[in-house]
Amino acid sequence: MDNGATMHLAVSLLPGNASSNEPPAGGPDFSTDFSALARFAQKAEAAGLDMVLLADAALASGEDAPNQPVCFEATTLLAALATVTSRIGLVAAASTIANQPYNLARRFASLDIVSHGRAGWSATMAQDPREAANFSRPDGFSTDEFRRRTEEYIGIVQGLWNGWDAEALLFDKSGGRFHDPEKMHLLDHKGEYFSVRGPLNVARSPQDMPVLVLSGLLEPDTDIAARAADVILLDEGSAEDTKLHCHDLKRRAAACRREPEAVKVLINVRGDVVVDRLELLFQSESCDGFNILMPPSALDDFVDRVLPDLCRRGLFRQGYRGATLRSHLGLAGGDR
Amino acid sequence: MTGASRQMKLGAFLWATGHHIAAWRHPKAHVTAGIDIDHYIQLARIAEAAKFDMIFCEDAAGLREANVGIASQTSRSIGFEPISLLSALAVQTERIGLVSTASTSYNEPFGLARIFLSLDHLSGGRAGWNLVTSASPIEAANFGSTGLRPHADRYERAREFATVVAGLWRGTDAGGLNHDGQSFSVRDALDLPRSPQGAPVMVQAGASDVGRDLAARTADVVFTAAQTFEEAKAFYDDLKGWLAAYGREPDDIKIMPGVAPVVAETEAEAREKYEELQGLIPDDVGVALLSSYLSISDLGRYPIDGPLPELPASEGMKSRQALVIEQSRRDNLSIRQLARHFAGARGHWRIVGTATQIADELQARFEGGAADGFNVMPSWFPGELDAFATLVVPELQRRGLFRTEYEGRTLREHLGLKRPA
Repeated sequence: MDNGATMHLAVSLLPGNASSNEPPAGGPDFSTDFSALARFAQKAEAAGLDMVLLADAALASGEDAPNQPVCFEATTLLAALATVTSRIGLVAAASTIANQPYNLARRFASLDIVSHGRAGWSATMAQDPREAANFSRPDGFSTDEFRRRTEEYIGIVQGLWNGWDAEALLFDKSGGRFHDPEKMHLLDHKGEYFSVRGPLNVARSPQDMPVLVLSGLLEPDTDIAARAADVILLDEGSAEDTKLHCHDLKRRAAACRREPEAVKVLINVRGDVVVDRLELLFQSESCDGFNILMPPSALDDFVDRVLPDLCRRGLFRQGYRGATLRSHLGLAGGDR
Repeated sequence: MTGASRQMKLGAFLWATGHHIAAWRHPKAHVTAGIDIDHYIQLARIAEAAKFDMIFCEDAAGLREANVGIASQTSRSIGFEPISLLSALAVQTERIGLVSTASTSYNEPFGLARIFLSLDHLSGGRAGWNLVTSASPIEAANFGSTGLRPHADRYERAREFATVVAGLWRGTDAGGLNHDGQSFSVRDALDLPRSPQGAPVMVQAGASDVGRDLAARTADVVFTAAQTFEEAKAFYDDLKGWLAAYGREPDDIKIMPGVAPVVAETEAEAREKYEELQGLIPDDVGVALLSSYLSISDLGRYPIDGPLPELPASEGMKSRQALVIEQSRRDNLSIRQLARHFAGARGHWRIVGTATQIADELQARFEGGAADGFNVMPSWFPGELDAFATLVVPELQRRGLFRTEYEGRTLREHLGLKRPA
């Protein structure tokens, strides 16, 4: 079975209580229990899912963010989960407002090494209206400014991730050569919003580059996504619209000299997961897979009821074939 | 001495292959440390088994050395970003404190407060933040700056930064934080619950006057560099003396100078170990390292066997520059000698000897009122951390100078610090 024949599946861990699906009775009930989150990731890994997406409470707004904070910022949680899992991809949301591009690139490069090539960055093209006010930008950015800034930001981050060639590290004790200076590259970026010299002081990723997951796209963002993203998350529309949107993204990726398979389009699924619906969308080539948004307590039902059905229909692979997130997703890079 | 008397605090200062500039070339050093999380888990467990108060990680958001030829002869151009490293270690350890350096120049207080509070929750109240203002122009170039900000401006920003972070950790009643200051504006309170230890521990290292003032206002722990007993004692008395002005008790700050020990069963063996490492330092690397500590770029153009030239006052690390100059004049050292000397311990106090000799020296500074504890800087990993843990720590415990079991669960409890209101 070739890679395109089965769907990719991600689960998004929504902020919420890890042990219960019920809203708390007496105000916020903080989910301080790391072990419950570890069990969630381990169960998803045992089921062979491609990746867990960790939302970040300070970013989440609207319907994805029940008024119920989690205790852990997503990148710190990712690092901790990496030590208690060994195969599943781990993707954390991190904001382009909250972090300087050098710091964010560095954090994820490091997370990718902590996780042995299983890390990804979930970025959004949608500006959180409240966030800028906590980061000394009380007026925020206009929609157009935010788009240009985010595009520049993503380019810097990916450029920094590429600053060290494979084989740059020599570890030659007797010769006194730790790395090959020819294989380390300055970025020397000077743009509209940022200037960043580089390089990162973190080694190259075991999967060449952390995976970039992009969401929150509006129509004018499509080209940016098609050029830079590894995975694009789309909200579900009608079957026809979804198919058009997916094909449009693949066509634009091809226009940027990328293979259509180099961009994976996953459809967000909220609420009940209907297997017939997933099958219809996948078989009609409307997407490469799905991102199931759920509170931690809903994973058991998904793994025990939905997944076996998908496997019976030949729609989902069983087990992992590679070690990195890129290999799970059928993307080029690193160990395959 | 009994167990009831005052005991010293110990930090395990982890740095990739080791604190010695040539550590990575040591035959037994773990050369892939900067890309091997299991190496760090091993180090954390050695330190925790020895009952260290904390692991300490330094940090810079950029290369250490602008000259790529020099940089490529050291192991310091790559390593883990410390927040991701300590978050991983948080769930692989149970008791030891986890302290990371982070810059007030290249972060925003809301984001930094949130990250450290998250680390604090992951670890059950064992996190600490070492505040630095970042003195390196290499870092500045990664953040859009055309040059390094002047020393005083950096500390002005740091003071506001620390105040906002402390406020965010303290939490607020409904209505948010609503800070609107010179450098920062923050509207909301953090969306995380209060720290299990009240607030993460605040660590600082700046030893200039503005650095001391900031430490006296906000720090729980001060990390410092002092070569001699007299320097250490003078710093200790001075800083403790600043506290009353801010309504704080002398014991509210733990002063922990860095110490770079080389320990072995015999003194001769320890000397031999030390000389082995010194012999692995290339001259150009030693001189470059010394130049960067002096915040000047061209020390290489002076004769290597001649004296240190007159230097202009730097906008970088004022306090450290003064220390180096003083030592070079006092001991009449050439650039080469000074470079070797500083390369080994990075300006910190080095002791080469047996466990008894090292314990004697630590005890003298501790009981002489020059330190509340020490930040231990092993020359290479894992060997020298292991040697300190298995040789020196038992000797300190035998003398009643160091704990044999953790008294509490949180870093504040280990350090004997008050829980903030």
